[in-house]
Amino acid sequence: MERRDFLRMGTAAALLPTAAAQAFERVGDRRMLVFSGGQPVPVLDPHVRYDWSTRMMQQSIYDALAKYEGNPPKVVPWLATSWESSPDGMTWTFHLAGNAKFHNGDPVDAEAVRYSYERALKLNKGVAWMLKDYLDPSGVTAVDPHTVQIKLTRPYGAFLSFVPLWYIVNPKQVVANQVGDDYGQKFLTDGDAGSGPFRIKRWDSQAVMALDAIDDYWKGWPMPDADRPAGVIYRVIREPAPRKAALQRGEIDMVTEMTPDDYDQMAKMPGIVVTDDVGMTPFTIQLNTANGPTADLNFRKALAYAFDYDSMLQIENGAAKLLDSPFPSAMTGHVTIPGMPRKNLDRAREYLAKTKWPNGGIQIDYTYVAGLEVERRFGLALLESLQPLNIKVNVVAQPWPTLVGRGANPETASDAVAVYVTPVSPDPDVIAAQYSSSAHGQFWGMHQLSDPQLDKMIADARGEIDQTKRLAVYAAIQQRIVDLQPCIFGVMEDRKWGMRSYVKGFEYCPVRLTGEADLYAVYVAKT
Amino acid sequence: MLRFVARRLALLVLMLGGLIVITFVVSNIAPADPAALAAGPDATRDMIETVRHEYGLDQPLPMQFLRYVSDLLHGNLGRAIQTGDSVSDDLARYFPATLELVLLSTAFAVIVGVGFGILAAVRRNRLFDHAARIFAVSGVALPAFWAALLLQLVFGVYLGWLPTSGQLSVATAPPDPITGMVIVDALLRGQLGVAGEAFRYAILPAFVLALPSIAAILRVNRAEMIEVLNADYVTAARAHGVGTRRVIGWLALKNAMLPTLAMIGLRLGWTLGSTFLVETVFDWPGIGLYAVSSALASDFKPVMGVTLIIGITFMLSNLLIDLAYGWLDPRTRTA
Repeated sequence: MERRDFLRMGTAAALLPTAAAQAFERVGDRRMLVFSGGQPVPVLDPHVRYDWSTRMMQQSIYDALAKYEGNPPKVVPWLATSWESSPDGMTWTFHLAGNAKFHNGDPVDAEAVRYSYERALKLNKGVAWMLKDYLDPSGVTAVDPHTVQIKLTRPYGAFLSFVPLWYIVNPKQVVANQVGDDYGQKFLTDGDAGSGPFRIKRWDSQAVMALDAIDDYWKGWPMPDADRPAGVIYRVIREPAPRKAALQRGEIDMVTEMTPDDYDQMAKMPGIVVTDDVGMTPFTIQLNTANGPTADLNFRKALAYAFDYDSMLQIENGAAKLLDSPFPSAMTGHVTIPGMPRKNLDRAREYLAKTKWPNGGIQIDYTYVAGLEVERRFGLALLESLQPLNIKVNVVAQPWPTLVGRGANPETASDAVAVYVTPVSPDPDVIAAQYSSSAHGQFWGMHQLSDPQLDKMIADARGEIDQTKRLAVYAAIQQRIVDLQPCIFGVMEDRKWGMRSYVKGFEYCPVRLTGEADLYAVYVAKT
Repeated sequence: MLRFVARRLALLVLMLGGLIVITFVVSNIAPADPAALAAGPDATRDMIETVRHEYGLDQPLPMQFLRYVSDLLHGNLGRAIQTGDSVSDDLARYFPATLELVLLSTAFAVIVGVGFGILAAVRRNRLFDHAARIFAVSGVALPAFWAALLLQLVFGVYLGWLPTSGQLSVATAPPDPITGMVIVDALLRGQLGVAGEAFRYAILPAFVLALPSIAAILRVNRAEMIEVLNADYVTAARAHGVGTRRVIGWLALKNAMLPTLAMIGLRLGWTLGSTFLVETVFDWPGIGLYAVSSALASDFKPVMGVTLIIGITFMLSNLLIDLAYGWLDPRTRTA
C-alpha cells in the first residue's frame, strides 16, 4: 500500500459518520447486552470489596450457596440445593449441587466452599463483617465432596440472609496465583476464578468490562435458548447526560444512576422503557444526638414535626414513598409505626417550647454530599420548613470522604446530615444495627445515638432463633428508634432502570444494591 | 551556559522537593480516612485497621513521609488502595491515553490557533478578525465542563456525528498495545478502521482540551504577525515585488513563530493539568480520570503520583524553554 493510499483510507475511516443507532452488539447469531452506570469496578475480588457495580459483576462471574430472587426478596437455593440447621441454630449443613463447575472445568465442591469462607474471614475485608463475630475460619468443614457444615460460635438470626453474598472461588486457581501471603488478592482484582454464568472476556475496570456467557452454564439459562445472550458489557459512563444520550442513540441497552428528571424524560422517548419499583434505600436526615442543639430530644422532635415531608415527594417527582418506619417496607419484620412524625407546626412549637430555644433564633448545619442535587434540594426543603420556627439552616456541601470523616466524631459531625443507606440483606438486623452504639464512626451512625435499652433489644433480637419472637422484638425496636428520633425519617426513592424496549427478563429484587441488576436473567429479545 | 544550566537544574530539584512536600501535606490534612473508605461502608473498626496496617497508614506521619520519599527515590510511587496495584503500574497503564489526548489536542491547538492567528492578522479589524478575537476570549472564558457538555449535546445527541464518551465502541477490541496509545497502535498494526474509530472518539475531548490553548496561541500569533507585517523589512520585501503568500508564509510567519512556539511549549504543561475535568466528562481512561477517581475515594498515593507526573512535565517544559531562551539570548542567563 502506498503512503498516499494509507493516509487516504485513514482519513476516510475517520470522517465516516458515527454508525446509526445500533440496536445491540452481536457475536455470531447471539446478542450482547450493553449496560451502563457511572461507577467503575476497580476490585472484582468477591471477598475484598462490594458496592453496587462490583457486586453486579461478582454476581455475574461467581456463584454462592444461595441467591436472592424476587420481590420481596427470597433466599433461593443455588450452589446448595438444600440446607438445614440444628435446633439451636448454630450448625448449618449445606448440600451442594453435583453438577456445578468452575469456568476452568474444576468441580465446585465442599472444599471450595470451605476455602472461600476461610479466605473471606482471614482477609477480614469486604463481606467479612457479616459473619466474623459468629464464625471462626475453622468453623467451616467439608463433610464430603457435596456437603458443607458451618458451625457458628453463637446463634445468629441473620446468618442465612448473608449466605447469598459469600461467593465461592476456585481454590486451585487462587492458590496457583498467590503472591506471597496475599491469598490471591492481586490475581482476583481483575481475575476470574468463578463458576457463574459469565466469564471475563475483556477487563478495563475504569471503562469497559466485557463478559462472555458460559454456553453450558451448570445451572442453565432462564430465557428461551434462541435468546440466550452471547454476553454482557458493562460500560462506565460517569456523567448522566452522555449516558442518557448513549441510550437514546442505541449504543447502550440499559442504564442506571440517572436523575429523577432524566428518568421522566426517558420514559417519554420512543423505544425506551423505564421501570419503577419501590426501593429499599431509606433516606434520612441524621441528627447529631451527642452534640449541639440536636442533642436535645425535644429539639429533634420539633424538627421532625416541622419538616414538610410532601416536599420530598415533589423533589422526587412522585417516584418515592415516605418512610413509615425506620425499616424499609420490603424488609423482613417491617411494621408501620403509628404516629410517625408528619408536618404539624403546632406540635413542633410545643416541642420547641421545651428546649433552650423556645422562640428559635438558632442556626443548624445541614450537610450533604457535594454533587447530589436531590440531597441539596432536601436541604432547601429543611431550610424552608424551619423558617416558621425561626430556625436557620446552613446548607453545606462536602465531598463524601470529608463528610464521613467529620461525621465519625460527635464534635465535628454536622447537626444534620443527609444519608442514604442501602441494606445489604433484607434481615432486620442490618438496619437495626445502624441505630446501636456500635454504629458510631460509620457513615450510617452519624446520628451518634447511644441508648442502652435499644442496644439490648438489638442484641437480644440478633441472638433469637425463634423467628416469631424475633420479629416481635424488631417491631418494638422500630418503635423505640422513632421515639428517640435520631433522624428525620424521609423517603425511600423508587428504583429505576432505563432500557430499550427489546430488553427482556429484567426482574426487580429490592435487596440488590441501588443500580445493581441480575444480568443472568436479562437478555436482548430477538422477537 | 554550563553554570546557567546547572543553576536551573538545581532550582528544578528544589521545586520538585517543594512539590513532594506540598502534595504529601495537602493529601494528609484532609479529614477523610482512606482506610475506612477502602474497607467499605459496613466495615468494622478492626477491618479498617487491617487496611490501615496493610497500607502503612498506621505509621506516624513523619515516618510515612520518610518512607514515601525513600520509595520515590527507588522509583516506587506506592500502592493504590482502590486498585491494589502499584501506582507506577497504574500510571504506565493510563498515561498513554492521556498523552494521546494531549498530543492530539496540541495538534488541534497549533493548526487552529496558528491558522486563525495568521488569517486574523492579515484581515485585521475585519469580520474574521473580530470573530477570531471573540473566539479567543471565549476559549479562555468557557469552563471546560460546560463546553464539553454543550458539544456532547450538539455533536453527540442532536447531530449524532460524534461519540460522547470512551476511547472506542464497546464492540471494538483495542489493538494489541505497542505504545499504549490506541490511535498510534492501531495505525502501527495496520488496523485503519480501529484508528479511524479511535480518532472519532478523540475529537470532542481533544477539541475541548485544546480550546484554551487555541485561544492563547491565536492571540500571541495574531499579535506577533501584526507586528511583523508592519515591520520595515516586510514593507521592503513587498516593495521589491515579493508575493503576498511568500511574505506571509515565509517572512512574517517565520519571525512570528518564536513567541508562538514558546507559548505552545507552555501550554503543553497546562494541557496536561487540564485533563482531570475533560477526561472525567468524556470517560477518557487517562491519568486525569484515574486521579479524580482516586481523589473521590481519598486514595491519595495515585493523586500524588499524578501530581508529580504533571508537575515534572510542567517543570521540564519550562526548563527547556528557559534553556532555549538562554541559548538564543545570552542576556537572560544572568537574570
